[in-house]
Amino acid sequence: MRHWLATTLAIFWTAAGFCAEGEYLFDTAGCLACHTAEGGPPLAGGRPFETPYGVFYSPNISPDPETGIGDWTRSDFIKAVKHGEAPDGSAYFPVFPYPSYRLMTDADAGKLFEYLQTLEPQLQPNRDHDLPWWLARWMMDLWQWLLQEDPPPPPSDPKLARGRYLVDALGHCGECHTPRGWTGVSDRSRYLAGSKDGPEAESVPNITPDRDEGIGKWDADDLSYFLESGELPNGDYTGSLMTEVIDNATSKLSASDREAMVEYLRSIPATPGP
Amino acid sequence: MKMIFALITVALATAFVSAQAEEPENYIKYRQAVMKAIGGHTGAASQIVRGKVSQQADLVMHAEALAGLSAHITRLFPEGSDFGETKAKEEIWSQWDKFEQAADEAKKATAAFAAATAGGDAEQIAGAFKDVGKSCKGCHKDFRVKDD
Repeated sequence: MRHWLATTLAIFWTAAGFCAEGEYLFDTAGCLACHTAEGGPPLAGGRPFETPYGVFYSPNISPDPETGIGDWTRSDFIKAVKHGEAPDGSAYFPVFPYPSYRLMTDADAGKLFEYLQTLEPQLQPNRDHDLPWWLARWMMDLWQWLLQEDPPPPPSDPKLARGRYLVDALGHCGECHTPRGWTGVSDRSRYLAGSKDGPEAESVPNITPDRDEGIGKWDADDLSYFLESGELPNGDYTGSLMTEVIDNATSKLSASDREAMVEYLRSIPATPGP
Repeated sequence: MKMIFALITVALATAFVSAQAEEPENYIKYRQAVMKAIGGHTGAASQIVRGKVSQQADLVMHAEALAGLSAHITRLFPEGSDFGETKAKEEIWSQWDKFEQAADEAKKATAAFAAATAGGDAEQIAGAFKDVGKSCKGCHKDFRVKDD
């Protein structure tokens, strides 16, 4: 009897721990905001993304087997998130930030998958993207070739490496804060140096330690407090899309992760721009 | 007769002056100045709350100013003041009820922050200040055009 109880408890705690970790990854990777339409059911997709390449609508990633990802396997999910490959083998448009998520570990992607499967299924068919006539899904196989270049190796210091993992793999900060070349691939020489044409036709600020155009004049505490609360060092508050990032992701980071993120951001090369 | 002309002139002049005072342009300038003041007090309070400067003696003053400035935010946005050099989104007027609610959040949060600073409990002050931030951020997200 006692043995049975202990086993049940052990299973319960492991499952709870697993879920808590999955939820943390889910928050940090910012899944909710993009996969939920304004006022719509959570994770049922349908949020529009206006880009220079057309309007994309995020898909349903709730565990509904018909319209969501309820019938996916763990390996389907890892392939999709890390390699931009759909279960039928086709390539996703990179509005889905797999160029960033590819740095995620398989273990983390797996935990994310298991967490998503515990959420409420939502029956909502995916909406087709509104794209110009010349843009088609099959081209993305070719586009993915452009991504072949390996990302730079992580810093050797473990704290900086964790910060880099949070910034690049989970937080996918560069998807907005790093400008893109004409092919749509992020311009690595201008890593996190801001972009004039970000999402929703807004410009995106430089977050490198450049003192004039970046955040080089912020101290570590300013940056950490910003990620937690959205308050800029001048007393103003950030608006627009970054608010969602703060509410859904960075305000939920553990203190040590936020510190790692701050330390990493302060260690990258200062680049002027955008 | 002369008297009547004089009266008409005075009446016209008065009407002109009061009409000018109510120009939407002036409201835009006024509210931008008020918002700047709110930002200024928030920034100053933040430095104190986060322990970056020791100006504790001034914290209550900043908090009270914030509460005063945030008490009637909707009055800063009269109908018709949504043109030209403004970051106010059109949604302020098209979703007035929602905007009113957001403004009310700011009123409550700043009043609570002022009360907390008067109380002097550091933890309570820090918590109340975070709520002020949430109300600023929430409203800016929905109703202010992003700058940069």
